[in-house]
Amino acid sequence: MDGPQDSSEARRAPSAATSDDPCADLSRRGFIQGGAAALVAAGATPLPGAVGPASDVMREATQVAQGVPTTLLRFTLNGVPQNLTVEDRWTLAELLRDRLEGVSGTKVGCERGECGACTVLVDGAPVYSCSTLAVWMEGRSVLTVEGLAPRGELSPLQRAFIEHNAPQCGYCTSGQLMSATALLERNPSPTADDVRRALVGNLCRCANYNAIVEAVLAAAGTAATGGAE
Amino acid sequence: MSASWVGGGVPTSPLSTSSLGVGTPTSPSAAPRQTPSQSVPQLAPMRTVGHGVPRIDAVERVTGQAGYTRDLRREGMLFARLLTSPHPHARIVSIDTSRAVALPGVRAIVSHFTHPDIVYSSGSIAGGAQYNDTAKDNTLHKRYMFGNPVRYVGEPVAAVAAVDRHAAEEAARLITVEYEELPFVLDVEEALAPGAPQIWPEGNIGLNGQNQPRPLGGRQGDPEAGFAAAHRILEGRYTTSFAQDAQLEPRSVLAEWEGDKLILHTPTQGISNCRHDNARDLGLEDHQVQVICHYMGGGFGDKNGSYYHDLIAATLARETSTPVKLEVTRKEDWLGTHGRWHTTQDLRVGFTNDGVVTAIQQRAYSGMGPFLRRSGGLSGIDAYACPNVDRQIYPVHTNRTVSGNMRAPSEPQGFFPIQSLMDDVAYAVGMDPVDFALRNMRRPTEQVRFTNYSLEECIARGAELFDWRNRWRPTPGADAGPIKRGAGFAFMMFRSGVGPSSAILRLDGTTGRCTLFVGVTDIGPGAKTTMALIAAEELGASLDQVDVVWGDTDRCPYSVGESGSRTTIMTGYAVVEAARDLKRQIAERGTPGTSEVLIASATPNPSTQGRQRLCFGAHFCEVEVDVQLGHVRVTKFVAVHESGRILNPLPARDQIRGAVLQGISMALKEDLLYDARNGQPLTAGYYGARHLTHLDAPQIEVEFIETDDGFGPFGAKTVGEAGIIHSPTAVGNAIYNAIGRRMKDLPITRARILEALA
Repeated sequence: MDGPQDSSEARRAPSAATSDDPCADLSRRGFIQGGAAALVAAGATPLPGAVGPASDVMREATQVAQGVPTTLLRFTLNGVPQNLTVEDRWTLAELLRDRLEGVSGTKVGCERGECGACTVLVDGAPVYSCSTLAVWMEGRSVLTVEGLAPRGELSPLQRAFIEHNAPQCGYCTSGQLMSATALLERNPSPTADDVRRALVGNLCRCANYNAIVEAVLAAAGTAATGGAE
Repeated sequence: MSASWVGGGVPTSPLSTSSLGVGTPTSPSAAPRQTPSQSVPQLAPMRTVGHGVPRIDAVERVTGQAGYTRDLRREGMLFARLLTSPHPHARIVSIDTSRAVALPGVRAIVSHFTHPDIVYSSGSIAGGAQYNDTAKDNTLHKRYMFGNPVRYVGEPVAAVAAVDRHAAEEAARLITVEYEELPFVLDVEEALAPGAPQIWPEGNIGLNGQNQPRPLGGRQGDPEAGFAAAHRILEGRYTTSFAQDAQLEPRSVLAEWEGDKLILHTPTQGISNCRHDNARDLGLEDHQVQVICHYMGGGFGDKNGSYYHDLIAATLARETSTPVKLEVTRKEDWLGTHGRWHTTQDLRVGFTNDGVVTAIQQRAYSGMGPFLRRSGGLSGIDAYACPNVDRQIYPVHTNRTVSGNMRAPSEPQGFFPIQSLMDDVAYAVGMDPVDFALRNMRRPTEQVRFTNYSLEECIARGAELFDWRNRWRPTPGADAGPIKRGAGFAFMMFRSGVGPSSAILRLDGTTGRCTLFVGVTDIGPGAKTTMALIAAEELGASLDQVDVVWGDTDRCPYSVGESGSRTTIMTGYAVVEAARDLKRQIAERGTPGTSEVLIASATPNPSTQGRQRLCFGAHFCEVEVDVQLGHVRVTKFVAVHESGRILNPLPARDQIRGAVLQGISMALKEDLLYDARNGQPLTAGYYGARHLTHLDAPQIEVEFIETDDGFGPFGAKTVGEAGIIHSPTAVGNAIYNAIGRRMKDLPITRARILEALA
């Protein structure tokens, strides 16, 4: 999993206090911020928002949050270079879902690193975007479910998910697809157990686990082995 | 454009009766087409139905294009966050919002003190005794949008609307609430003991619609005589745990007002009752509320009808004259919506030495939390033919979180105790549990007739597929260990009743396409696709010629909602009837030309004329138990179900597989533990409740025995809830067969197994 240790290249503003109530519960987001702030070099200079925001929604959001530290973030999203100002407290899930257009396929199920619905690939590795700050993406390449069929042509994995009824409610599907995409990239011929291990961080409360594993194996061209082992 | 949508592309006589698929119902009033029979005839295949097609929205689901409520944005939209009670029972003395309102970007804060009078109540149409229109007026136990006192950890105390999520979250933290803590009670038996903290002035037994603290259940036959006639009596005490529905999408609501009309974007399993209940609770007419349900990330009963989040978002949107999106956190969803009611049950069974059950007694407590959102009832005993039964089930109020519907609301926690005890009885009389079930399970009688009965076939087929005679050990716990193997069996019957619903079909001569308007939502089973399949089948059209409009009360007619396993049966049958109406119109007037349109509709209310319509199933489970570690592994699971005709085999199979796995999760893992000292919930969340992951999920083998009893759309019955009813029992019975210890408490954890073996 990606994490604070990888964020040293992110250019950040000094972090702000999240609450003036010492007794208040520390929010999960505040906790991530604190952890990140502790690990990056102090004294980095805030960058002005020199590059225009991605959308009206984004512009309004940055206007509203007066006094909140921001950072100019450059990263690649589904193969397209991005250059935008982000608030340091935004998670990657938040950036994708609320601040950019057309990439809300990444879902938020728990916002605390339990369920895996928010899984995206960062430089090819599955990452919980709810527990990853957007600023950590500096120089990185992010792939979301929308990037699996960039020109409308479904990937073999997506086709297999359709043919094998892998989505029930569909809320975990994006995350399952991303973890499975990463698996097939590094292991084109996985066993059923390989699939289960690679996707263990992606919960499906519909418990459609059998069909998901069958779909991944079908996409890999591997016959389903069945059984619990 | 001519009506090229018609199957076979023959526009002149496409919808004559002769083009109908084999087995298509022709009787308009759902009269039976076959006499009830013990035999299971091979069903003739149909044209569109029954072939396992991908969902009509499958591409959207795998590309991220499927839009869920939480994905919605509006220009200038506000974000809302809740503040919930940290105490299990407390009176709110004061709420100081001064620091919160001073925060830039905060637009509104609502609480008990600003809106004390909005009563939240759900269930007027979908069922639910407590909060129908009459009961809402009469009940002494009103549940408010914001209550005072608060009666469980997680009860909403206030809500904030602010310009972004961070401001709303921070403002909620800056609200200072002064509480006067009150005594609390968590255990159902302690709640009924003298001197227990009173959650309601009327006491801690749930009140019925007449405000009476009466137990559910009742007597039939002569229980005392039945026990007197028994050669032996076995009894036991069983407990089952609270299992949160835990659908992956936490509740989210986007509320926006257009004048005096409220538009609620909310994930709900029933748009019709969601609209009615919200309108009633907010003092509006039904037509002043539009409910729109987008794609929905699961429900399992958690999203039946309306919820107080709808009222809070609507109130904040009205206060600010701005669209408001309320996002509920995972923890708030876990503690603030609901899950399966936990139970404590004492059971007695009298039986003869040749294995005939003569009497059953049940004394049970269902833990409902402080509000009676649902009944607290328990099923399972009614699956036996025993004529002498005495049941008393008390719905009990505690300061745990609220219980409600979870997939087959009364069943798994009802079936597990009685079928565990019956398993013991079978061993006690030296019978194979399968033979014992065949001797004692309920069958149709002269007095109570069924539309069909196929339980024997399910059991026989399951035993064959599973190789029961070789996997089951006549002597429990006989393996040498440390890994011990065993096999368990369970069966069920479950409602598949018919009932009213509506559908509208529009054939547009200009586009040549047919549009189906149905008030369904899709929590996962694929209702949209099912409805399109039914329409295409009846019309003789291909699936891609039918568009489906769904999930919007302003565009769709009444549907019962995706609860109680009713959507396919009831709304699906309305689609059949609407398609017949369309065919009649085409026969009379011809297919519509350009600029012409035909509209067909149906609101059938079929009846089984007093007969019971049930689905049936048999589960066979093999486990390995490591008696040194207490670890249980399910090594084989066979589920044979009769759910009438299977309209779409692929999702039907996965409804059963998923439900069985949820049942295994319930049997082995899920619980909501509380700290008895302070009333704090300890395991709210996926990690804490230990839900199944990919690595915990065995392969489930499913087979359907297909029938057509003449009711429902083409004979279709219940699928969605059927698989979870008896799967925990099959696991428990398999564990007994493996280790020779009866595990009477769910979940069957490693600690409990080691304790039983110690």
